[in-house]
Amino acid sequence: MEILKDDIKLSVRGLYKKYDGKDVLNRISFDVKQGEFLSVLGPSGCGKTTLLRILIGLETQTDGEILIDGKDVSKLKPNERGMGIIFQNYALFPNMTVFENVEYALKLNKELKFQSKAIAERTLEQIGMMEHKDKKPNQLSGGQQQRVAIARTLALNPKVILLDEPISALDVTNREIMKKELKDIQKKFNSTMIFITHEQEEAFYLADRIMVMSEGNIEQLDTPKNIYDNPANKYVEDFVLAHLDQKLESLLKCTGKIAHE
Amino acid sequence: MNNRTYKGLRLFIVVFLFVSVVFPLISLLLNIEFADFGKVLSSPQFSDMMFNSIVATGASTIISVTIAFILAWCVNRSNIKFKAILAVLFTLPMLIPSISHGMGLVLLLGSNGLLTNLLGINIELYGFTGIILGSILYSFPVAFLMLTDIFKYEDYTTYEAAQVLGLTKKQQFTTITLPNMRKTMISVIFAVFTMIFTDYGVPLVVGGTVMTLPVYMYREVIGLLNFSTGAIIGLVLLIPAFVAFIIDLKAEENGNTSTITKGYIITKNKARDVFSSIYCIVVLVIISLPILAFALLSVVKQYPIDMSFSLENIAQAFDLGVGMYLQNSLAISLVTALVGLCTIYFTAYINARSKKTFTNGMIHLISMLSLAVPGVVLGLCYVLFFKGTFIYGTLAIIVLVNTIHFFASPYLLAYNSLSKFNKNMEDISETMGISKMRMLLDVYVPCTRETIIEIFSYLFVNAMVTISAVSFLANFKNMPIALMIPQFDSQSLIEATAFISLLILFVNITVKLAIYLLKRHIAKQEV
Repeated sequence: MEILKDDIKLSVRGLYKKYDGKDVLNRISFDVKQGEFLSVLGPSGCGKTTLLRILIGLETQTDGEILIDGKDVSKLKPNERGMGIIFQNYALFPNMTVFENVEYALKLNKELKFQSKAIAERTLEQIGMMEHKDKKPNQLSGGQQQRVAIARTLALNPKVILLDEPISALDVTNREIMKKELKDIQKKFNSTMIFITHEQEEAFYLADRIMVMSEGNIEQLDTPKNIYDNPANKYVEDFVLAHLDQKLESLLKCTGKIAHE
Repeated sequence: MNNRTYKGLRLFIVVFLFVSVVFPLISLLLNIEFADFGKVLSSPQFSDMMFNSIVATGASTIISVTIAFILAWCVNRSNIKFKAILAVLFTLPMLIPSISHGMGLVLLLGSNGLLTNLLGINIELYGFTGIILGSILYSFPVAFLMLTDIFKYEDYTTYEAAQVLGLTKKQQFTTITLPNMRKTMISVIFAVFTMIFTDYGVPLVVGGTVMTLPVYMYREVIGLLNFSTGAIIGLVLLIPAFVAFIIDLKAEENGNTSTITKGYIITKNKARDVFSSIYCIVVLVIISLPILAFALLSVVKQYPIDMSFSLENIAQAFDLGVGMYLQNSLAISLVTALVGLCTIYFTAYINARSKKTFTNGMIHLISMLSLAVPGVVLGLCYVLFFKGTFIYGTLAIIVLVNTIHFFASPYLLAYNSLSKFNKNMEDISETMGISKMRMLLDVYVPCTRETIIEIFSYLFVNAMVTISAVSFLANFKNMPIALMIPQFDSQSLIEATAFISLLILFVNITVKLAIYLLKRHIAKQEV
């Protein structure tokens, strides 16, 4: 998939991280365009979480640049980069209502504080959580909590949203629902999202493009279809395709068995 | 409020802990004259006192923990009525100074005691008997609280498995209950041992000719201003507390692995319930006897000659300055509770919600270190370190020594509460531009209100009853009321000591009640 230069939202150039004498990220470069959903897929320890934390500024890279809209943000503080992040378990503020959770950071923001109420209301409305606005996080289902976490991030109008395996904590049924919701929200807001996961199906379902990582390197960066049809190397074939095929096989076996009976 | 405020406060905590814990401890070591070292430790007097201390403490610890164990079992493993109220009543002895327990015994079982006269008995109270009885009264509620915790948080599924395997009740007790308790039991034994070993209050009034190490230290320092000998004894008193500290640190490292899946189900058993009821009633009577004695002695004319009702003793106590010293104590306790709460909570916040750096690790260790320093030793350290400074002789130094003396337990309480929050909370706030101080005030403080109230209450009550750390630092101006007890006792103003004990108990019960109502109010709000 070709990316026109004007479309590029986030650009990573030669990102390198050395930690305890080990190369965690190996001078990787990639671009993400406006409104794109990029899944970063890899096993634990492949460097995907480090990449996410460096992108938002919670950790510092040893070398390399991060550009948003062509502007270098690598030296800026996390809250000045124009990015938002959503973690597993969401880390909502437990003592605040849904509305307060969304409004809180806005109220502390110099530019947004005068419209904080209006923005919070609008975002909750758009995300379909307005009817729950007075509830506390512990009164919400896992899926509703995810929506509040997304609303809280969206309200600050970030240019790029990073998601650190937000679905993994949910049970199987909710996971299916939330995957769909996440995709819908992303389309509705035309958000640029980078989604970290170790689950192949999640990545294939959600992503416009998938970046397969291993040991701090990018093994392949392409659309799900291209990766499935033309895996770049043995690693991609083993880690991504073999797993998907296995799933497919057991699914077929299962349906075959049902048909047989 | 930005992160500079947080960093500034963190620096303040580091400096504060060094000035109030590390430097005073070092000055204790620096004040020991080596020539005295051999002289003190090799004297026959020292080995006698060591023997007295170990025998009295050992015997008290065994009996105290046994009584507490059976009591905790009765309350948590039977179907007796009024369990919640009983559990509160059993901790009443914690609301009066240790020395009051000694005084209570004198009033009941002394040569002219109420029970001595009433029942015509005469036990030789002064000496080992008195020290052991007083120490038990003073220490068993602490053991009871710690042991209640284990009984409360035991996983019943293990017992169900044992029943399926056909284990008898006795086998279940020896193979499940006891092994489960081993770790806490060691902590309880060390905590109680240290508490009694370093207490001078009880042996001072009922020890008679049996001299223990803390009493000797107290007399050397207060009476003879012999700081070097005091420091050497202080060092000896540090040993059991230090061992307990190391054991607790180890236990903390191993972590609490218990995951309760099911609370204990109490079966029907009449014999057990009857035994439990009787046992609880007996303990309750024993606890209330000294309190009743305090009440009685406060309002009779002259014990035991004229037992008619009179408020003369109370009036006399106020003439002797009880009013002023009560004010002192209230001020000290209130300020200790407030200052202590802020420093302790913030210190716990630093460690529970920030990255594990060298500085944070050091802050954590120093915070816990106060567990290893007995009150009398801490008090002496403060005399040696702060003497001659502007703070010496003021209420402020009493507040400071109390804060440090009672630092560790509430610190751990706050640390545990704050550690329970989502680990990504700080990452989220950082990316949203919310400062650490804002998070503290807007999220953590409202979420941990109950812990905060608990810490306040703990500090207030302990500052009200303590006589150990403050004893060397108090003068006639800044003296807390509890220290009037040994003073009045030495002047044979027995009725006045009874009244003071009662007064302290009254203040503490009032505070506890207020805290209870406040907690209930908060709980209602949250529903």
